[in-house]
Amino acid sequence: MDPMEVFKIVVTGQEDFGTKKYRELIMDILQDLGLIRSIGRLYVYMDIMDPVFAIYGLLRTGIPPLTVKDVGDVLKTEGGYQVKINDEEHMSDLLKVLWGRFGRERVEQPARDIVIIASDTDPSALTVADLETEFLQDLTDGLVRVAPEGFRNRRNEMSKESFFFIAAEETLTPELIAKTKEKIREMQNA
Amino acid sequence: MLEPVMFTGGLYKHDLVVELVEDLGGYVLQKNVTQSEVILLILIPSEDKPVLEALIKELRGELVRAPLAGTEVAVVTPTLAIHHLPHTACDIAEYLRRHGSKTNMMGLARGVGREIAQINEYETALINEHDAAVFIFGNFRECIRRKESLYRNITVPVVVTGGPEIDKSELPYAFEYVSSIGRVAHRARKATEIGTLDSIIESVGRALDKTRADITKDPLTTSPPRVMDAVREQVPDVEYSYSPLPIALNLGGVRVKLPYERYKDAVKAVTFDEGVTLGEIATIRPSRMKDYILVRILPASETGYIF
Repeated sequence: MDPMEVFKIVVTGQEDFGTKKYRELIMDILQDLGLIRSIGRLYVYMDIMDPVFAIYGLLRTGIPPLTVKDVGDVLKTEGGYQVKINDEEHMSDLLKVLWGRFGRERVEQPARDIVIIASDTDPSALTVADLETEFLQDLTDGLVRVAPEGFRNRRNEMSKESFFFIAAEETLTPELIAKTKEKIREMQNA
Repeated sequence: MLEPVMFTGGLYKHDLVVELVEDLGGYVLQKNVTQSEVILLILIPSEDKPVLEALIKELRGELVRAPLAGTEVAVVTPTLAIHHLPHTACDIAEYLRRHGSKTNMMGLARGVGREIAQINEYETALINEHDAAVFIFGNFRECIRRKESLYRNITVPVVVTGGPEIDKSELPYAFEYVSSIGRVAHRARKATEIGTLDSIIESVGRALDKTRADITKDPLTTSPPRVMDAVREQVPDVEYSYSPLPIALNLGGVRVKLPYERYKDAVKAVTFDEGVTLGEIATIRPSRMKDYILVRILPASETGYIF
């Protein structure tokens, strides 16, 4: 069963095998990169004769930014705050943010997973990393991997709700982009 | 007739196998030592095979037929990017190696795309130094058909692989076409996928048999394993080459992995028991692969004798 609500793929010409295999390939790549759960609907259009490859997707609700309280437990201590780290993946981002906000002399790390801040200001709400930006970067990487390699002229339109990626061998003209978008709209309405 | 076989077994006492092969008039083509195990690629006279089998049984080793031993096959992908590697290309290359062939993987510089795919003179010449080539293409019928220009000028037999079923008549320049192995993003592990790899091996085997049949019409002056043995004996520096296989065998000659300029005269001067030198019975020229030496044995019609 597809983890997505809608996954449509249309390939022009007598390419039934290619259509089936491309579907598996897209699933494999998105799964490898851990992107599949964030995509709600996916429409893929390929014209082998033109040749052009386009993919339009709707993203699931936005990912909130990661704050200090998401990566560790914040405790009020004498003369400041202590953060007990639970998620070490974002350690370097956390230190960078704390140094920027409080200055290096006020941030101390006595143990690998403990950070002490000599300040009266609660750091809980500080943003450590913007996961949405990271996700969009991973998604772009995934789309480049999915597209046929020879399609070197690419255009990527991304917003917080959706993305539209088009790649072709020849120059991407406004007419080609408009025509492809129209095809995808037809797929959505079908 | 010499039969290609592969011995796998413990390192302990494997010298006995090597000695027996030499005594029987066979050749050890390649020796790979991996910790306490050794893999030997051997050519042995078929009538003496039971003697070797008996020794190997005693040593608790394994002897299997390696139909592609003594040949070099190129596995060609449109590029070396993540779109084509590692899964399909590595699976095919590894499978060819397991059947005894020396496999080289090649990515073309500009082999991608439907309209823009191209191959240059250097790449074509390099592929032509092999005994056969496997071209790995994708999932779309139209693209596979269009990419014929990549292997049109290749003189060795070309086995094309791709996803969809395509009639062989649609690909006149390919030796054979093997379907169901297009672009995939996972390793071959299902029985059907392994079956497809088997059919590629069979297809490459048929391609090599065709070349062998062509050679028998005008036989070579001497056999490539004999040249390999003589070069190994008389140009001892070849043992210091860093390549895992310092002398690679082809159906029509050998490739000596030493610098051409420094060693060409030594290779030309290699003398056989019959009194002829290698320079008299073979063309010795620079290989397209690095600065190696390519030896191509002349046929009997040019030299006038066979030994």
